Amino acid sequence: MKERITYIIRNPKLGFEPSNLEVAKASISVSSLDGAKEHRITLALAEVPQELVRVLKNCHELHIRWATSREHDSIAPYVSRVTPGLHVFYTPLREKATKRLCSLIQKLFGSYLKCVSTENILINFWSAFTTPPNISGRFSHSASRQYFQPLESTDNLVAYIGQTTCSEHNYECKLRVHDLLTADYIDGDYDSISHAVNLRAYWSQSHLTDKLWWETHHIPANGSLEVGVLINETPDEEEELRYSGFLTQVGDDDKPSPTLFSFPARHHPLPQSSTFKASFRIPSGLHPTYSVQLPADSLTPPSRDCYLHSYLTLPSPLFIDKYPLSDPLFLASHNLKALHSISGATDLEAPDWVTDAWGSAVLFEIVTPPSAKESLEVTIPTHLRYLSPIDSRTAQGLRSLLIPYPSVFWACNAELGSQFSTSPFDRTNLGYDGLFGPKTVFYYFNPSGPVNGSGLANFLDVPVLDLNRTGAGMVEWGTVFVILVGTAWVCWSLMGDFVSWGKGGREKEIGNKSD
Amino acid sequence: MPDLLSSPVFVYSGAVLLRVVLLFYGLFQDNFSAFKYTDIDYYVFTDAARFMSHGKSPYARDTYRYTPLLAWLLLPTTWGRSWFSFGKVLFAVADIVAGYLIVLILKSSYRMPGGRALKFACIWLLNPMVATISTRGSSEGLLGVMAVALLWAVTQKQIALAGVILGVAVHFKIYPFIYAISILWWLDDEQLSRESGSKYPKNGQSGNRILNLLNFLNPARIILAATSFVSFMTLNGLMYSIYGWPFLEQSYLYHVTRIDHRHNFSPYNTLLHLNSSPAARSTLKLESLAFLPQLLLSAVAIPLILAKKDLPSTMLAQTFAFVTFNKVCTSQYFLWYLIFLPFYLPFSSLLRRPTLGITALVLWVLGQGLWLQQGYQLEFLGRSTFVPGLWLAGLLFFMINCWILRIIINDINFLQPSSRHFALKKSD
Repeated sequence: MKERITYIIRNPKLGFEPSNLEVAKASISVSSLDGAKEHRITLALAEVPQELVRVLKNCHELHIRWATSREHDSIAPYVSRVTPGLHVFYTPLREKATKRLCSLIQKLFGSYLKCVSTENILINFWSAFTTPPNISGRFSHSASRQYFQPLESTDNLVAYIGQTTCSEHNYECKLRVHDLLTADYIDGDYDSISHAVNLRAYWSQSHLTDKLWWETHHIPANGSLEVGVLINETPDEEEELRYSGFLTQVGDDDKPSPTLFSFPARHHPLPQSSTFKASFRIPSGLHPTYSVQLPADSLTPPSRDCYLHSYLTLPSPLFIDKYPLSDPLFLASHNLKALHSISGATDLEAPDWVTDAWGSAVLFEIVTPPSAKESLEVTIPTHLRYLSPIDSRTAQGLRSLLIPYPSVFWACNAELGSQFSTSPFDRTNLGYDGLFGPKTVFYYFNPSGPVNGSGLANFLDVPVLDLNRTGAGMVEWGTVFVILVGTAWVCWSLMGDFVSWGKGGREKEIGNKSD
Repeated sequence: MPDLLSSPVFVYSGAVLLRVVLLFYGLFQDNFSAFKYTDIDYYVFTDAARFMSHGKSPYARDTYRYTPLLAWLLLPTTWGRSWFSFGKVLFAVADIVAGYLIVLILKSSYRMPGGRALKFACIWLLNPMVATISTRGSSEGLLGVMAVALLWAVTQKQIALAGVILGVAVHFKIYPFIYAISILWWLDDEQLSRESGSKYPKNGQSGNRILNLLNFLNPARIILAATSFVSFMTLNGLMYSIYGWPFLEQSYLYHVTRIDHRHNFSPYNTLLHLNSSPAARSTLKLESLAFLPQLLLSAVAIPLILAKKDLPSTMLAQTFAFVTFNKVCTSQYFLWYLIFLPFYLPFSSLLRRPTLGITALVLWVLGQGLWLQQGYQLEFLGRSTFVPGLWLAGLLFFMINCWILRIIINDINFLQPSSRHFALKKSD
């Protein structure tokens, strides 16, 4: 087991006082540190629970990305943003892997998560998982299958890790695992070449009352621990990030050693003022409009050759009709420039209950106004699938869906592209990165939550058939009754021929009027 | 005004002008607004035609569920930007031809004076709904011209031609098969012998069952059955050989397996929505029997009881019953029966008793209005109006349609034959 903990000082101007680091023989203490933290653990397969190994052995690569829907700061180099919720990207070795992976996802993150898998090859084998297009080609870092679910809390995962790694009375272990609940994102990576499992958790700040880090880290049994405290410096090159600070190999070093380094980075921050908000226009009806608002002062490109993009992961009840989005006028009316990529559940007619795929992933290019004087509202026209009827006294025939915020970023063409992956802070398999060439640099807008405080996600009320108003039996027998009455009524008029013919009355009546 | 409506110059130029204006207005709106005049289906057709022009299958386009013939007809739309509207022009021309055929049939088979015939043809020719649907690029107008051409061919005793048209129409949109039954039934010896010097010999009457059957199988009926079957199967065979399984799947099997859960005018809609979902508790699956009342009325009872009395009005009643009892129903389907209205209306109690006629029209519009109001609340305001609102509105509209269907049936049943002049072409 290898552990590496990195702190990034929030305010580079205040710097860092090395005396706040206390190095002991097998531990290190951090005190009064204001900044972000990344905790990375590398495990050999032997150190992983058997039920996980069984799934991993069927994977060429597996990447799990979970991001909170709480609002939080991005501090370089931890600025890349997947849409809030649970993402799974994976390339299978064996076709059978999906069913096991679905059970694992449900075990780790919650049994209620929609993950349909089928062993029947005649039906669609990749039911829950979708296949995004791969623009990067064979140099891609991206896995071939995609899965996403909105997921606000990781308590299921935290409970699982606690049970599998901490012995019953090891409260220190349990407390540390418990800290994961406050993480802003959690990554898990495995590939069949390194045979190692990489876990990463990121906190934008401490969750203690003074918002400062006060903690002691111990060397794990049969492992190593490295702790770094880094400060963002102004880089020499536009595409680079540069850091100064202190690194400590706990157990080897008796004091922190100063360091200064820089590297080409794929993911870059934008100024704090570059924020965006996303919300659904009210009333949303069955064709909700997802509106993304960008303030005027954030609309200047960070570099040459940059294009503004938004990437959305839409759960299966919500979908996009790609056909009108090929019309420049229609696109322009929504302040969109192009629909670059759409994959997943794009059937325009299927109700949600026959849609096995998790949903769809969409990449839009947004117009960049020639003069950034006015704020920009981008609207994304979506449609709702019909959801299964409900029987509820309280819901007023509505079901509430949690729809995550999109990611909004500039994608710029870079020159140093091929060296990104050498950086220890590089992060790939985010959903959108595979849709761009390998020489692309991303600059991220900071999502800011809507006023009503539901975090980086929006609730969307979907009207559904409410069986509490009219019961299923009433609908069924009522319909059948009316159809039978209608049929009999029409048949009766057809028979009326024989009935009235004898009397001759009807004929006379009409015959008289015909003149 | 009434005089204008009986002037061929006014009616035809008016019908053409109406469509030309709408076509150009559509071009204008499409070019300057994000909200397109052009129907979504038209993009489906033209996309499919584009796939076809690249040597691919039209079924490469999602939601293309029509015969490849339609995409083939629209191939010129792929010749360039200015050709994009070719299909709309084609549909609009089909409208005018259909209107012209209505006039021909009214004049020749009903012995109606030209002016009066034109007036009734205006129901189709100058109908803004018909003109809009065609110029927006919906192919229903093609069905209209096929249905009326079928009727025209029958009245002109072009039985083989009628068979071919019938085969093509059924290949195009399935539902015209109901006309096969009424036409076959109608084509009895009495109709055939009305014309002096008929080319079909009259069979003698006999009490013998086999002879009765032989009597039924007169040459005209055999020719119609054979030509329609051969043309229908030839087209299917041809399309299957070129486009294979997707052709069968998209143009025919889809209509068997489709769920039709999204709200529409059909009385079955809420039941289908509910029972196709996981919330379904019913084990009876009564909705799978929905075809029974529909086919009983439109393909059996109405043609057998009424066809010999008045063929065109019977075709109206059949279509009306088919659409009313269908598992899915949208406003484009109303065009299917509208084409037959000019044959029925002149002799109907709807026209004879204006209060009845106006009541029927108002109720028909009101039934839709009520449904649309509930649909608007659901679609745009997000209120859950599935039950009871939309459900009851659909059932009410169904009952209104049943009531109107009864009026049509009663009119066909009870009007004196002498008041209807419909007959085969007579040699004057």
